[in-house]
This record gives sequence, C-alpha cells and structure tokens, in this order.
Amino acid sequence: MSKQKTARSAIEALMAGYEKLGYVSDEQIATALYLAQKLEKPLLVEGPPGVGKTELAKATAEYLGLNMIRLQCYEGLDEGKALYEWQYGKQLLYTQVLKEKLGDVMQGAETLDESMTRLGGFEDVFFSEQFLQTRPLLEALRADDGIVLLIDEIDKSDDEFEAFLLEILSDYQISIPELGTVKAKKPPLVFLTSNNTREIGDALKRRCLHLYIPFPDAERENTILQARVPELDDGLRANVVNFVQAVRDMDLKKPPAVSETIDWARTVVLLNMNVLEADFVKNTLNVLLKFKSDIENVESDLPRLMRESQSPEAAAE
Amino acid sequence: MIADFVRILRAADIRVSPAETLDAAEIFDTIGFDDRNILKHALGQTLAKTETEKLAFDEAFESYFRLPEETPPPMAAAQEEGESDDKSAEQNSGEGQAQEAVQEGNPEGGQEGGAPSDSANQSLSEMLENNDMAALQAAMQQAATEAGLANAKLFTQQGMFSRRIMEAMGLAELEARIRQMNEGGETQEADKLREGRARLFDAVQDFVERQIAMRTKNAGRLLREDALSRIRLSNLDKSDMKIMRELIRKLAKRLASRHSRRRKKAQRGVLDIRRTMRANVAYDGKLFNLAWRRVKVERPKLIVLCDVSGSVAAVSRFFLMFLYSLDEGMPKTRSFVFSNRAGEITDVLQEGDLEEAMENALRQYGGGSTDYGMSMMDLAEATLDSVDKKTTLMVLGDARSNYGDPGHLVLKEFYERAGRVIFLNPEPETVWDTGDSEMKKLGAYCTHKQSCNSVKHVERVLDDLLRLSS
Repeated sequence: MSKQKTARSAIEALMAGYEKLGYVSDEQIATALYLAQKLEKPLLVEGPPGVGKTELAKATAEYLGLNMIRLQCYEGLDEGKALYEWQYGKQLLYTQVLKEKLGDVMQGAETLDESMTRLGGFEDVFFSEQFLQTRPLLEALRADDGIVLLIDEIDKSDDEFEAFLLEILSDYQISIPELGTVKAKKPPLVFLTSNNTREIGDALKRRCLHLYIPFPDAERENTILQARVPELDDGLRANVVNFVQAVRDMDLKKPPAVSETIDWARTVVLLNMNVLEADFVKNTLNVLLKFKSDIENVESDLPRLMRESQSPEAAAE
Repeated sequence: MIADFVRILRAADIRVSPAETLDAAEIFDTIGFDDRNILKHALGQTLAKTETEKLAFDEAFESYFRLPEETPPPMAAAQEEGESDDKSAEQNSGEGQAQEAVQEGNPEGGQEGGAPSDSANQSLSEMLENNDMAALQAAMQQAATEAGLANAKLFTQQGMFSRRIMEAMGLAELEARIRQMNEGGETQEADKLREGRARLFDAVQDFVERQIAMRTKNAGRLLREDALSRIRLSNLDKSDMKIMRELIRKLAKRLASRHSRRRKKAQRGVLDIRRTMRANVAYDGKLFNLAWRRVKVERPKLIVLCDVSGSVAAVSRFFLMFLYSLDEGMPKTRSFVFSNRAGEITDVLQEGDLEEAMENALRQYGGGSTDYGMSMMDLAEATLDSVDKKTTLMVLGDARSNYGDPGHLVLKEFYERAGRVIFLNPEPETVWDTGDSEMKKLGAYCTHKQSCNSVKHVERVLDDLLRLSS
C-alpha cells in the first residue's frame, strides 16, 4: 500500500517542484520523470517544436541540482564528435618533438627486431588519456555524481548514430578499444528529444520511456504564462491564450508554439498594452507566426479570431 | 495478467516487445494498481511509442482495466432488463437463439452419458435460485478461463465460446433441474429458472463479445493483408484496392528503410589510416595527404518497361506503384508503359498523385493490342543511347505478342549494353512458351527472368534489385 502512496506523492512533489522552477508540468509529464528516475531508463520526449521538450531537461537538471550535458544532433554526427576522439594533431606534434628522444631510445639497437621491441614499449603512451578528446557522451558517463544528459533532436541524426546510442542507453557503458570499457559510476538521467521529422528506430524506442508532449490546453497554457510572464494581468493573459489557441486550430504551416506564446505575451507587456487591439495584433503577428502565408492567413481571419479571444464562450457556441 | 494485457495490446496493433513487457511488470511493481491515472500514464509511456499507438493504448487500457470492477453491471443490467421486460431476455441475436436450441438439445446427451451430481459445490441452478450475482460472476470468469477465451481469434468463434462457458458453468445440471421441476409440477419455479438461464446466457454472450472484440480488433485485418500479399494481382477484387494500397505503402517503407542506411555510407568519409600512411611514405611519413575511407555505392540506373494491356495491367500498376513508393530508393528511374506503342511516363509519375497519374497513363497507353516489336523499338529510340553497364532494364509483361515480332533483336541490343536485363512475367512458369508466348526468344536475352504475380513477388524482386545496387 505504502508503495503506491509514495508513487502518488512523489509525482505530486515533482509537479510542485517543477512549477517552482517555472516549468509547468502535468501528471503525464511528472509520471514520466518519476519513472525515468526510478527505472533508470532514458526518456524519449516527442512533440511539436516549442512545447518545452528541451526546457524539460533543463528544468530537471535544475530540480535535481545536477549539471547538464547537451548533445545537439545533426546529420553526419558521428561517434568522433559525440563520444571521444584521439587528438591526431597532438599525437603528431608530440612525435615530432620527441623525435630526437626517439633517436636516443633507438640508439644501440642493432637489428630491426630490437628497435621494434624498444619502440613497442612506448606505444601505449600515444593512446592514453592524455591524447583522448572526450566528447559529451563520454563526459556524461564519467561524471561522478550523476548528470542530466540531453540528446537533443535525435531525429536529425543518422540511423548509424542511433544504433550506436543503443549500447550507451541500455547499459550506460561504452567500449573504447584502446582503453577498455567505461561504465557510468552513476547512470546519467538521459533525455532524448525528437520533433518527429523521421521515425525513430524501434530498437531505440524500446529502450526508452516514451513521452509525448502535445500543445497545452488553454488552462495549462494560462498557468505557463502566469509562471513565465507574471507581469501580465489576468484578463489580458486569458485573451492572449484564447487567441493563440484559436490560431492553433487554423490550418497553418507552423502553428505557434508555447515559446512563441511567451514571446508574444512579453511583447504585450513591453508595449504596455491594456487590451488586445486588432492593430496591435496585426503588427505583432510576426512574433507568433513564422511563415508569410500563415500570417496572411491569420490576418484575413483576424476579426473572427479577435471576437473569439475576447469571449471564448461565444466561440464555443 | 500483464501478459494478457500485452496480448490485447498486440491485437490492437501495438508492437510490444518482451523487454517492454518486463518494463511494464516493473511499473506494476513501483506504481501498483491503486492509482489508475498514473498507472495509465506510466504504462502508456513504456508500451506505446507512437501517437497512433498511444490512442490505441488508451482505448485498450480503458476497456481492459475496467473489467475487474465493472463486470457485475452487465449482469445486473441484464437482470433489470429481464425483470422489467421478460421478453427482452429472449431477444438474443439470431445466433444466440440457434445457440439456445443447441443447448436445449444438448443436455439429453449429457444426462444419459453420466448425470452430473447436483450437490457438487454450489451448482448453477442454486446460484440462479439464490440470485447470487457474485458467485455467478466468479463462475463465469473461471469458466471463461477454462474455455480458453484468451486464445480467441475470430468473431465467428463467439458462439462456440459462449456455449463452452455455459457448459463449463454447469448448464447440463441446470437443464436437468428444470426438467425435474417440470416433472414434479413446480412449473412456476421451472419458469423462473428458465428465465434466469436466459438472462445468464445474455450476460455470457455479452461478456464473450466484449472479450473477443478486445482481443481480435486487428486480427481480421492482419489475416486479410497477409492473404492479399499472396494473392495473384490479376485476381484482385476492386474492394481490396484500398487495403492493397496501404499494404504496398507499408512494404515499400520497409524496403526503403532496410536499404537507406547503406546508401548513406558513401556520403562521408572516415579517416583511412592505412591508406593515409601508404600514401605519405613519399613525404617522409608526414601525413600530408589524408585518405578517407569510402564505400562506393553505385546508384543503379533503372529503365522499366511495363505492359499495360488488359491482362498484365493490374500487375504493372502495382509494380509501378511499389517502385515509386520507394521514392528515394531509386532516383534514376525511367518508366515506360506500352501496349502497341511505348510511351514514357516518368514525369507523370513523379509529380502529383500517384494513383491519378497511373490511371491517366493506363488510359493513354493501355487498351491497344500488344506489339512487343514496335514497343521495343520505341524504347530503344528513347533510351538505348543512355544505356551503359550501370543500367538495369526491367521488362514486365506476359511476352505474348499476338504472333507478331517479339522484339527480341532489340532486346538483344539492350542485353549487350546494359548491366542487367530482368524479365518479369506475371504468368506462372509452366505456361511460358505456350500459344503466342515468346518467352523463349525474349528470355534468351535476359540475365534474369522470373514469374511475378503477387505483391510478395514484387517485394522480393525490388529487394534484390536494391541489394545488388548498394
């Protein structure tokens, strides 16, 4: 019994804790966070751009008081950039500088065999920690007291990279041929985010918890604005939220995200508006919408949208 | 219980791996059953991994985890109905009535074979007489397990399972008791029991129906898809076209994803240390010229010639549909269709709606009587100059040229220049070279010829092609 009780209260505590940090979560998100920590599984967060996927990881790092390492994925990202790399340049430079020294070592070696043996004694020097350039993933595994690892926009990376992540994500360890296996002292809390530009492989999905964050409903968006733009007064905030929600219902290339709502609310505050006026809205649409055709679309429909945002009850009817 | 739920999810087209099942078990352990909402979120996050799966999951979760608490209501409801309107209990489906008839006849056999003892634990008749809902419920659940309801696959099994459950609950005994009462003159009691039986039957049917619906949601479709992928394309029914299109899209996606990875490899290099070393020996071992490791992937140039006259049109159509569903798989493809003359439809297919384009192409070029000689000539005129060792020519047709020139000499020219000539014939191999089929002549100038008349075949052919190309 107590187990269930703790789960419930832990999840509620998480929600409260995040809200204090300015991240408004809901039960779904909090459950996912709770499970990710409890089961030590990576959390794959999907959703449209700008709903706070990356923000979630940042807030988590702050909440847990851990450092965060961020790995931004892009096409062509490979393990050299993500995990570790030997510093070829440095190795070459050292060989050059040490050339004379090398001569000393070699001196007196009569046969080729002998010089090879002598040289062999030093080869490990060049593949040691000194020449190892660590990259985000290795750093995350080496962190002593846990860390939040954010692998951002995994959908932008290639299939190969995804496959390569599998070892890290399931066992929290990685093999470096020259040095051996590095195992995380404390499993990092891993967040993967994806905008769904391509389907993530099943193998990766299977290893993760899957959280889908949709656009927030009016109520949650209101709370988010309250947390993020406290200067905005209640009535105006409701108007802003209703307007954005109505715009989202339209058929747009890129519907406004939460981050854009926040930007827009800041604009409203900055320009000292007391009510949403049609003119003002028209002039600041470019904060909300990022495509010309979208802006034109919304402009032509502005009177209706304005009406609805003033009185959402009328819109509901 | 988890296994059972997972089975239901799988039936609803959610792919759940054993590893995920273990995760789910762990979640039951940490979260428990008390907080339904959190359990739902948690399970959803472990088991359903796409948006569509999430929707299906929600539905499955709602119907599955409602059962333990809510199974009594259907009984109660059935009972209320029965009481308020005696007839309603009898209003079973036609199937149900037939079922009842069967059961009516059945107990005689059971009775004669070996009379079930009345007093073995609480018998069905007692439960009904006492109106002991909880006991009935429990008996039903248990009977369902005994009857193997969890393995139900098809809707048509519904009747069978309801009957099995009734029998397992002790129907024979009930019937015997009713008869006994009738004979003993307790008609009123007997009627009451009969009414109870009808009610119970209703409840069992309802229960079975819901269970089966939950478990077989997609089984029917999957069976159908499987069958469709094997059926001969020329025999395809119009009504199946929609499923077929879906199927093709699915298969094409699978092929594309299987082969896309290898294609990417050539797009960037990794330092090839050995080659670098060797290349720089001349510079006193200083690494001057870097050599990158490369995997060379040859993109195939593909020319497709499809017969669109009557009999072969259906196959051609699916073949092209498949080919173009691969989109990035085959960038350098030129497609021609022919019946009496050949015409290029590459551009038409690449832009706009594939379906529509296909219709237009078929209308424009199809319908004439097949002339292989003329069509081959047209094709040669349009493409022969560009054919080189990297080119694959695919001809799809039945090689029946109405006793005219089969065009094998033109094909020979292609054969000599191209890397590969593949002939796909929708007819089974046994009828090649019968009647006006010129498979022997044409086949002589093919690197590869094979029978191809179902989606499975088409998939295999394209798979081979992609594999060879990368």
